[in-house]
Amino acid sequence: MIGSEQVSLAIPTGALLSGSLSLLAHSRLARLNAKELGRQLLVQHGGLRVILVRPSDVPAYVDHGAADLGIVGKDILWETPGSHYELIDLRFGGCRLVLAVPEASPLNGPDTWPPMLRVATKYPRTAASWFEARGQAVEVVRLHGSVELAPQVGLVDGIVDLTATGQTLRANRLRVAAVLGSSTARLIANQASLKTRTAAVQSVVSRLREASGNAS
Amino acid sequence: MTPQLGGVLGFRDLLPLEAEILREAQESLLAEMRRWGYRHVITPLVESMDVLDAGLGVEQRRRLFKFTDGRGDVVALVGERTVPVARLVAGKLRAVELPLRLCYAGPVLSTDEGRFHQRRETYQVGAELVGASGPVADAEVIALAARCMESTGIRRYQIDVGHAEFFHGIMDAVRLPDQVKAAVRAALVARDFVTLESLLEDTPLKSAEHELLLRFPALRGGPEILDAAGGLVRNRRSEAALSELARVRELLVAHGIGDVVHLDLGAIRDFEYYTGVIFEGYGPDFGRPVAQGGRYDGLLERFGRPAPATGFMIQLDLVSEMLTRASRPPELPRLDAALAWTASGLDTALRLGSTLRLFGMRAVVDTRVRSQAEAHAWWRAVGAANLVHCLGTTTVSWSVKGQRTRRLPPEQVAARIAGGGE
Repeated sequence: MIGSEQVSLAIPTGALLSGSLSLLAHSRLARLNAKELGRQLLVQHGGLRVILVRPSDVPAYVDHGAADLGIVGKDILWETPGSHYELIDLRFGGCRLVLAVPEASPLNGPDTWPPMLRVATKYPRTAASWFEARGQAVEVVRLHGSVELAPQVGLVDGIVDLTATGQTLRANRLRVAAVLGSSTARLIANQASLKTRTAAVQSVVSRLREASGNAS
Repeated sequence: MTPQLGGVLGFRDLLPLEAEILREAQESLLAEMRRWGYRHVITPLVESMDVLDAGLGVEQRRRLFKFTDGRGDVVALVGERTVPVARLVAGKLRAVELPLRLCYAGPVLSTDEGRFHQRRETYQVGAELVGASGPVADAEVIALAARCMESTGIRRYQIDVGHAEFFHGIMDAVRLPDQVKAAVRAALVARDFVTLESLLEDTPLKSAEHELLLRFPALRGGPEILDAAGGLVRNRRSEAALSELARVRELLVAHGIGDVVHLDLGAIRDFEYYTGVIFEGYGPDFGRPVAQGGRYDGLLERFGRPAPATGFMIQLDLVSEMLTRASRPPELPRLDAALAWTASGLDTALRLGSTLRLFGMRAVVDTRVRSQAEAHAWWRAVGAANLVHCLGTTTVSWSVKGQRTRRLPPEQVAARIAGGGE
């Protein structure tokens, strides 16, 4: 082994944070407080270093080797494929990526879609490739927030967005017309870390695997 | 409007320190390759699309910078340099007997900004051994790669050795419908073990090969891993791969690099291209492999001269990045002498510069007349070890940091600087 024995793990802010922290506690790797971590962003706990980063930045930290491991939603991985290993389905943070249209819209299944479908999304890559794979021409408008608003003001026919409970969709009088995929939190690993510090990294991986309820 | 001084997105300038580290690393690598009998070839930056179509996979072709030359032929900037070497071996070197040992160095380009971690131009140094099959040739190339990494000054590194046939044997042996098999292969190439697991869980017939696939990233270690895997596989292709790996490992021990070699049966590489022993070189705490290589017995045939071949390339910019990041980063070699002059001292300064350079010193001569105070300011700016202010044909004023300035004849100063004294 040519690297240090310390293992670093990137965990995401936002919806997956509390699940990540309880997984860490459950695996007895580290008991961390969200508030404290939010202040420090980087916490050392025995041989484990925990880094708090934005969800969409997790793959970058892992691919560049700044973190050996990362916890990240599958939805982020759809958008930013990289050179990491996707090791474990951690089975929390479940949600679906859906095509949602206004309640009054005539759009439903694929037969009802217009020759050119216009959708707004934070997931342009995933949306474009899903529709293209089904032979549907699509114009993707990339938005960074409040995607739900776009169809109501006539910008697009529908949106492609994540939904866990459907509450936000209902509040904006949108309904699900198609499901593009379902996402949960995943454990990803840097390719070189697995090779150069196998023992240290694998020991963290197997404790997380166990705590997540996956048989090894 | 001011032109864009930052350069084009994805392309980098290398400033003096970086450029010097990179160039020195390149020279060390090529020198090591020459010591092993590899001859340097230089192939152009541009190749015809015909050649690249024959040699590269679809994905690699997609990422090429392509354009048409004056005659309307489609050409591209090279994205790797093994295919041009294969073109040479099958073409201009076809009369030369095999095996051939060749090495190269140069930039490679890619249109894909995501690849090479936002860099679209990187530098590769590589070696190819064409016309030799079997473990002796495989081990030679791996040992060369290891010595190359050492030659650049990387102190700690490891080489992971695997075998493409081990994977192919497993894929042959797993009893799965073709469609599922294709999905399994795709998941593995994407390093997506979550999808792989769910694909394999849904299949009724579980074989030892299923287990091996699921444990793919962990199938690594010392020679004991060969026995462990040998106890599990039940197909000839994988078994043959394991015994070949055992032989290669013995030879690497004889090469004296047994302690840096790890066996990695779960190596995931371009399985369409590689046909035998494959390997990767890693540096300490660095997220990506620095060296990559392996056996590619199918390539030369596509250019009409069937021949077994193996080789590797080192990512030169990763090597220099690793050296720059090391605990003791290399220093930019200093100038030995700054030669300033007054109106009557220019001839002396020029002569003194020539003399010092003859002795291998780095000496810079100023471009305009300077007073003593100005000369000292200029000395500090260029950062040389010595300042020689040439005042006439017989006397110069010599300063070394921390010492009193002295007036001496130019020959004496030249002798002392070149002799390393004071």
